[in-house]
Amino acid sequence: MMAYLSPFAPTTLVIIGAFVLLIISTIKTIHLHSYLYITVAFLLLAFAVELPQFGHDTSVYVFPEIFGHAYLVDDFATLFDLMFLGGGALTLLINAIYLSKRDYYNGEFFALFLFAIFGMMTLAHANDLVAAFISLELTSLGIYALTGYHKNYRGSNEAMLKYLILGSFAGVFFILGTAIFYGIAGTTVISELAAFIHLHGQEHLLALSAAGMFIMITVLFKIGAVPFHSWLLDVYLGAPFPVTMFMASTLKVALFAIALRLYLILYVDTGLVGNQAITVIAILTLLGGSWLAISQTVLKRMLAGSSIVHGGYMLIALSSIGLGADTAAPAIMFYLLSYFISSVGAFGILSYIAAGATRPLTYDDFKGMAYRRPYLSAMMAISMLSLSGFPSTIGFLGKFYIFTSAIESGQFFLAGLGIFVAFVSVYYYFKLIAMMYFYPDEESEGERHPFEVHISTLLIGFMAAVTIWGGIGTSLIPWFPGADGMIEIARQAIGSLP
Amino acid sequence: MMDVILTYIVFVPMVFAVIMGVFQVRHTFLRMGAMLSALIVLLLTLTAAWYFDPGVDGMQFVRHLPWIEHYGVTYYLGVDALSLILLLVIALLMPILHLYMWHYETKGYWYNMLLLQTGVTGAVLALDMVLFYLFWETMLLPIFIMIGRYGHDMHRIHAMKILIFTILGSMAMLFAILYLGYAHYALHGVWSFAYRDLASLPLDPSITGWLAAGFLLAFAIKIPLLGFHTWMAPAYSSAPTPALVILSAIMAKLGIYGLWRFGYGIFGKVLHLYEPLLLTLALVGMLYYAIHAITQNDLRRMFAYSSGSHLSLIALGVVLANIYTWSGSLYLIATHALATAGIFLMIGLIHQRTGSVRIDQLGGIASVAPRFAFFFMFFALSITGVPGTGGFVAELLIIIGAFTYHPWIGMATATTMLAAMLFVFWMLQRTLFGTPRSSTASFGDLTATEMLMLTPLLILLLLTGIAPSLFTPLFEPQIQAELMRFIHTAGGAL
Repeated sequence: MMAYLSPFAPTTLVIIGAFVLLIISTIKTIHLHSYLYITVAFLLLAFAVELPQFGHDTSVYVFPEIFGHAYLVDDFATLFDLMFLGGGALTLLINAIYLSKRDYYNGEFFALFLFAIFGMMTLAHANDLVAAFISLELTSLGIYALTGYHKNYRGSNEAMLKYLILGSFAGVFFILGTAIFYGIAGTTVISELAAFIHLHGQEHLLALSAAGMFIMITVLFKIGAVPFHSWLLDVYLGAPFPVTMFMASTLKVALFAIALRLYLILYVDTGLVGNQAITVIAILTLLGGSWLAISQTVLKRMLAGSSIVHGGYMLIALSSIGLGADTAAPAIMFYLLSYFISSVGAFGILSYIAAGATRPLTYDDFKGMAYRRPYLSAMMAISMLSLSGFPSTIGFLGKFYIFTSAIESGQFFLAGLGIFVAFVSVYYYFKLIAMMYFYPDEESEGERHPFEVHISTLLIGFMAAVTIWGGIGTSLIPWFPGADGMIEIARQAIGSLP
Repeated sequence: MMDVILTYIVFVPMVFAVIMGVFQVRHTFLRMGAMLSALIVLLLTLTAAWYFDPGVDGMQFVRHLPWIEHYGVTYYLGVDALSLILLLVIALLMPILHLYMWHYETKGYWYNMLLLQTGVTGAVLALDMVLFYLFWETMLLPIFIMIGRYGHDMHRIHAMKILIFTILGSMAMLFAILYLGYAHYALHGVWSFAYRDLASLPLDPSITGWLAAGFLLAFAIKIPLLGFHTWMAPAYSSAPTPALVILSAIMAKLGIYGLWRFGYGIFGKVLHLYEPLLLTLALVGMLYYAIHAITQNDLRRMFAYSSGSHLSLIALGVVLANIYTWSGSLYLIATHALATAGIFLMIGLIHQRTGSVRIDQLGGIASVAPRFAFFFMFFALSITGVPGTGGFVAELLIIIGAFTYHPWIGMATATTMLAAMLFVFWMLQRTLFGTPRSSTASFGDLTATEMLMLTPLLILLLLTGIAPSLFTPLFEPQIQAELMRFIHTAGGAL
């Protein structure tokens, strides 16, 4: 009994935190900052408990007498948990200023946030399709509510409704796929399904492949892959900033967690190949996302469009899994990390600047920003460079791994297309740099905003430093992962899967 | 000391920039720091050149450290004759540019110049393809910012243009680099991006042809060869003078350097497929750019096209691949860099004094500012390759080599050189001579600082012109060996 407690502790801490916040949110005298710091404290505590668990290379089913084989603790899930916990804490802290300037945030916001993170963690641990579905819905419900959190803003309501209806509809496909799997194999446990398909898969190949693809439809929808992307721009625009950032970075990580587990255990080894379908979707996603991103003037929508493209890069690697490259899966994990770091920086600066704004920020609002806020502009420029995959940033290494793995799998066309799309992305990312640096300042007539020392701005600076370090970091500092160390961690996590 | 000297040469400017940026130093200290870093680099470069042994084939002062071990990406620097020449040019030009910028108050200029120096030096010395790509891309960033932020005449659009064009080329190169790394992995079981490892890969010509095309696209855009040049005149005319000097004197040469080192080093076997194309582009480009230069009224644009014409000549020399043309091209890389640096700096001075670089608004400078006119004429003439300047030696070598290759090509090369003479003389007549106009009537002559800035260039151009035997031993043996290696790999395909 006790043996299971420590692997289970981080998840438990998060759900306890969610309930604690739910209870104390009824007390109206508590200041918003207290909620924020309580939430972050729970997340960081869970992070601290979970961190030593990584790297033991063990797979443990937690409380098998209760959950059966549904809840699995391995390095793969642990690494994803760490990303969710760190990502959640970062999202909240970076948006602290934004949150404190809006009076409609209260305790429930943070409770919902923790519920969503709890859902992501169980999603990463889920070794059972039903458990995965429940986790996914738990996460989604939390995020639906968060999306519509600004009750009096029509855009927010519209975003929530769109996301809720389309998201629930897409979620049904997951159930459908699970049902077909159960109907054929008599189980929903992923590892048992894999064993079954290994033995009898050829007899039901069509049905099984269809079931696998149904499940992927849900995942692809939530990632925002073209042609399942129509909700994404409006939802990202309408949602409050912290939630948009959360969806773009942390939620995406969670979805790739389940996608990777399904792919690596269930689809690839057993010959349930849907690679062609994923390849087609990757091509559509790369091209469609680029088109969407280029044609935007509102920055939040541009970042939303570009997040579709980044999903497309990862789909390149996903479709390369099982084609001969053992580097594809670690490449996805590294890319998730690199995209997470750079997009959190970009969204963070945007939310910091938008904190006092009443309308969505456009490219034009950034004219002359380098004169008004030189430090923030430099950090924004670093984030943009990293998102566009400019060398010496972590974004370049992310793309480097993705494209090499695609070439290694013989997917030359996809690698070439990915590089071309990266070239296109230079335009819409550098346009922002050009706006910030090339135009004289017209608003404040040379007056500089002082650099506000606050947890939000310090963290944004930290993310910028990590972006650079992740791109050129050496192994000179022994215990600190540089550019080389991070991919090793990803490989270790992938290696823990059976 | 000698194994880390290249690392110091590359990173001293960046370290200075970072330290001064963190401490937010005042403008006076900033420019002194920048000058100090440029002088330190110059000193280190001269030390490296002093200890450089031309008789030994291959890379010297090599620094090879692991970086991303799983993918065999390494930190790999080294210098041979080819890169040493470029390294010397960069190290020499930087203090001169800092002197030119001495009165520039804007701090951003100085930081960008320091970072730019690290970028271009790194690109010259990097021998690992990923490291090379890193420097190749990052050197673009300061140029982009300098054109867009401090340039003139539609500079924002022109900055975007040079960025998009150059990155298009580098992305094609990136694909080829990644493929080569994978090919090494497929053959040997380990990843490697080291230039020598990739050069020894036995690749299928049908694939290598495409990979070579990726590299050639990047270099053709950077040089720029005819057809890939539409970014050139806008960018040159919008760039502030220091950036302009770097663009024409160093970054364009890096395109040649890339073609030489990686084009011939890695793709020696298939390059003959592209030889007719490159030859045509270079030959037609020489004439096309020269004719374009004649028609220009803007001095910057005129010398942008002139620069394009000479770079086509250098490219021609590289493509013809015999000992005359290769020596001549390498020689011209250096002397043309010195001469264009001189001419663009003086055009900058004209701009400072009159506020315009349009030829029809100038005239009669010689009668009011004789020293200025002398220097201007000297640099303009050394661009055309008048005997007594380094350009003459280089162009003569290339023309001789062209005749050895084929008489018709030799004829074509020699005639197109005349076109260059034409526009320079006509331009000199219209700007320097005649009666002074309202804008040039009170044209100030060169000051002592400006003389100090231009004299080293003048002395070096004369020295390279009169006594080439002082310099040729530095690179001749290695060029010879490199050529033998190329002919050997090409397997008599030429």
